[in-house]
Amino acid sequence: MYGKGLRPLSIATVVGITAALSLVFFYAPLDADQGFIQKIFYLHVPLAMVALVGFVIGGVFAIAHLRSGNRKWDAYSYVSIHMSVIFGVAVLITGSIWAKASWGHWWVWDEPTLVSFLIVFLMYATYYPFRYAIEDPERQARYASVFAVTAGAFVPLNFMAVRMAQSLVHPRVFATANGGLPGSMMFTFLVCLAATALLWVTLVKLELTAKSTSGQLKRLRRALDAPASGGGSSRVAPEVS
Amino acid sequence: MIGLLLAETPALPLDEAGKYVAGAYVVFLVLIVIYVAIMASKLQRMEKELRELATFAEARADSDQVAPGRGSEGQSISDSLALTGAEEATPDE
Repeated sequence: MYGKGLRPLSIATVVGITAALSLVFFYAPLDADQGFIQKIFYLHVPLAMVALVGFVIGGVFAIAHLRSGNRKWDAYSYVSIHMSVIFGVAVLITGSIWAKASWGHWWVWDEPTLVSFLIVFLMYATYYPFRYAIEDPERQARYASVFAVTAGAFVPLNFMAVRMAQSLVHPRVFATANGGLPGSMMFTFLVCLAATALLWVTLVKLELTAKSTSGQLKRLRRALDAPASGGGSSRVAPEVS
Repeated sequence: MIGLLLAETPALPLDEAGKYVAGAYVVFLVLIVIYVAIMASKLQRMEKELRELATFAEARADSDQVAPGRGSEGQSISDSLALTGAEEATPDE
């Protein structure tokens, strides 16, 4: 029952996003350097962080699938990666808008943070053709899991490499030394991060519920399509938990 | 109530930067709306399929009652879907 708890989760997400937007536009102070443009930060950075963590979570589910052989974990892994790719699209577009407003260019190729995220995004964009190129469902799930584990391990390595690059163009605002985020901005950012994470979890749960319902329908169709055996027992397989 | 609330809130500096900030948030909103629309169309498809299956199951139950012991051998879902389609077709279609 993937749909269980979806309604309270959705309500919490709506409340969280409303609170986050209110804080962004009516509580957080204007940035001394960038001014109003900096408001994109509260959308762009949480989306990027949740997308990257989502890719890692997809890898963790893939490990669970490879260890147990249970296809449920493969579905979890697929949906996590799928949702993170959608968030990744939002990250790239909002990042480009921010870059245009701040730097005057839609894209800057010598900025490691941007390029590394693009590399991660493109790597995960190949997940779909890679997965659906394999017809056998068992092999498809196994190979996709190996991909998810490998790519999931690459994400934190990539993040660390970018942190070590120490670019001046993309300043590290979470540092405690040399001017980090002030308290009100940090509070607003954390609420935005929590709201974005809630949105990701809600959408993953919604997607899993839809996939599970679709699967149950297929099983029901197969069971009804088969000629009646007269055995008396139900031909519909038990629901996958 | 909303008017009072808006009157109390500080004015947003919607100058040159405003369109970029609005653009970024609108992109996010549009992506969410597209996703929800796709999910809604999937839900609609599943609902339709479920309705067809329910009709088929009812037809099978009826035929079982008419000829006990014979079951509905040979009757496939596609036959039922054709029947359902015929029943649901409107003059406009």
